[in-house]
Amino acid sequence: MSDVVIDVGKRPVREVHEEIQAAAQAGKSITVTNTLSRHNLGVGLPAGCSIRFEGSVGYYCGGLNNGAIIDIERNAGWGCGEAMASGHITVGGYAGMSVGAAMLGGTIHVKGDSGPRAGVAMKGGNIIVEGKIGYQSGFMAHGGKIIALGGAGPSCADALWEGEVWVTGDIEDLGVDAVVTEPTAEQVAEVDAILDPLGLKDTSRDWRRIVAGQRLWYFESRDAKAWLMI
Amino acid sequence: MADDIEGPYEYPFEEAPEDLVQFSDGAIEGRPAGVPSSYDQGGSTRWTPEAISEVHALAQLGRYQVRGYNSFNKQLPTWDDLTFVPATMTRLPLEGYREKCDTKTVLGGGRGLVENPIELDIPIYIASMSFGALSASAKEALGHGASKVGSMTCTGEGGMLEEERAASNRLVYQMSPARYGLDLDHLRRADGLELVVGQGAKPGTGGLLLGMKVSERVSKMRTLPEGVDQRSTIRHPDWLGADDLAVKIEELRIATNYKVPIFIKMGATRPRYDVAVAAKAGADVVVVDGAEGGTGASPELLLNHTGIPCMSAIPAAREALDECGMSGKVTLVAAGGIRTGTDVAKALALGADAVMIGNGAMMALGCNSPRYYDDYAALGTSPGACHHCHTGMCPVGVATQDPELEKRMNVPAGAERVARLLTAMTMEVTALAKACGKSSVHNLEPEDLRALSFEASAFTGVKMAGIDRPFDWGTERKG
Ligand SMILES: Cc1cc2nc3c(=O)[nH]c(=O)nc-3n(C[C@H](O)[C@H](O)[C@H](O)COP(=O)(O)O)c2cc1C
Ligand code: SF4
Repeated sequence: MSDVVIDVGKRPVREVHEEIQAAAQAGKSITVTNTLSRHNLGVGLPAGCSIRFEGSVGYYCGGLNNGAIIDIERNAGWGCGEAMASGHITVGGYAGMSVGAAMLGGTIHVKGDSGPRAGVAMKGGNIIVEGKIGYQSGFMAHGGKIIALGGAGPSCADALWEGEVWVTGDIEDLGVDAVVTEPTAEQVAEVDAILDPLGLKDTSRDWRRIVAGQRLWYFESRDAKAWLMI
Repeated sequence: MADDIEGPYEYPFEEAPEDLVQFSDGAIEGRPAGVPSSYDQGGSTRWTPEAISEVHALAQLGRYQVRGYNSFNKQLPTWDDLTFVPATMTRLPLEGYREKCDTKTVLGGGRGLVENPIELDIPIYIASMSFGALSASAKEALGHGASKVGSMTCTGEGGMLEEERAASNRLVYQMSPARYGLDLDHLRRADGLELVVGQGAKPGTGGLLLGMKVSERVSKMRTLPEGVDQRSTIRHPDWLGADDLAVKIEELRIATNYKVPIFIKMGATRPRYDVAVAAKAGADVVVVDGAEGGTGASPELLLNHTGIPCMSAIPAAREALDECGMSGKVTLVAAGGIRTGTDVAKALALGADAVMIGNGAMMALGCNSPRYYDDYAALGTSPGACHHCHTGMCPVGVATQDPELEKRMNVPAGAERVARLLTAMTMEVTALAKACGKSSVHNLEPEDLRALSFEASAFTGVKMAGIDRPFDWGTERKG
């Protein structure tokens, strides 16, 4: 049971945020009610904070998360968990565009589908989507893993750096420079270790692990002399 | 008709022999009569030697060229196309050598929304230049130099460098679309946040850092494999249009507890609309970077063929802010090709609240200074002509990640030169302001200027020298 209940309704988000921060600092577990899909709820929350949003939330819920455990009952709008450094976010329903954009660490677990560009520019951490990931998911992911259990939309894993996109189910089509590899048993074990605590481990899965073909990593030449033409 | 030349006319003398008609008495053998210079120099205004060598370069490389520095487009106007008309009979000057002229500049306080607007002692600060494009020593020197004179620096897209944070009393943290090294801690340690949607040297295109400069430290800060050619995104990952941007700005305000101002930086393309949209979306400060703006590396074609000049962008941006009632609420910063205090004064008179300098500050650090001739020669250039920041082989240690070259960038000396440059530039601004009778540099106005060329008048709306009327299209602007 939560210690504190904070009602959103039509109140200014800034005011709601200040109450959430105060409760978080005091180490209380928090339930936020009447969320009305408002934007910017639960931004920049600290480690040790445990918070549940009833209903759906708007953009950037859990953005810049710094260690909090965040539970969203239903759907989340754009940029859920963007730039999160650490912590755990659960989305009970669907996540909109750019879930986990530029995140550095921590885990985002989406029970439904996710919109386009899940994990765009992510630097680390894991995004697990039980449903299907939308088009261009993993776009230019620098690091970390996106794990989709229900297939992927078009342009999957476009222009990756060192991020990885793992998919079971259908992939509509691959993005630029995306290369499908057969994962080793060790690599699969790593992914299973991520899924296990979420109750999602299933050793019978047929994985495709998508990584960068590295064709876009080098524009032309790594030799400075080649750039002295003008 | 040539056919009719064989007319009935007959000379009253014997016809000249053909070799005499062909100037056999001294003309160059084998060359038909003509304008000799066209043989030596050619005459095509399109196929200049530069254009021909550009095609040769493209044909050899199979790609466009990339380089640093700034635009080589010869059609860009210069700040020299404007001149001041100081107080004479109709206005009273201030005593240039004695009376005070206020230079204090506040960024981002206009909406009354943020707890700590940025207060600068001077109207000039150092532009966002990333660690990666510049060496750590260069960044540190810029920070100390700016701090000494009450100015500020900006991180650029490569994340927050600890040396710069320590050196810079006021530091704006740039959030580029690639969001390198972005975290909450860095956001909260910044004195301002800048969302960059473009820059003057390459509007519509993301950052570029060639592999030679993606060193171990740079690659760690950007979470990139070492040595890759980093070509960044231009679209932000989690917002697309102005309505989303407004939500994003609120998020950043919440994350930083409404303490620091939010900047939006853009390349100058359609400032009259873009600036209005940025102001409406909630920015505290809008930075407009003209086509002359410097860069660490950009495709040559974008450097030379995109964007509009800074002098044309400022009045348009000011008009936009006036029109939506945002002048005074939103601070307007201009950049692009600003060299000295006179350029600053002109930008302020045209309507900027502050200016920032990139290439100029690098020159104070030593860029293009006449030393290490052999190393300039190895780059195929010489002091004064160097534009090779993209190679990472900067002869003076400013734009490099090579530890040996970086040693040439002496931090204390560089910091002092930056401080002196900013001081001298500010003195120049106040000298002009006082001559124009202004007790604050922010009171400079377009009426203090006259244009020396039709172009400058047409670009800015400033009156033509002598005739005292702006170049006029005779039509109302539509839309
Ligand atoms: C070496 C160098 C690196 C730069 N890096 C960035 C950057 O990371 N982000 C950015 O928005 N602009 C960057 N710029 C552009 C500057 O912020 C600024 O807009 C420009 O230099 C202003 O024009 P000026 O050089 O003529 O003063 C860079 C410019 C230079 C010269
Ligand atoms: S001297 Fe260094 S900083 Fe200046 S243009 Fe050359 S490479 Fe760039």
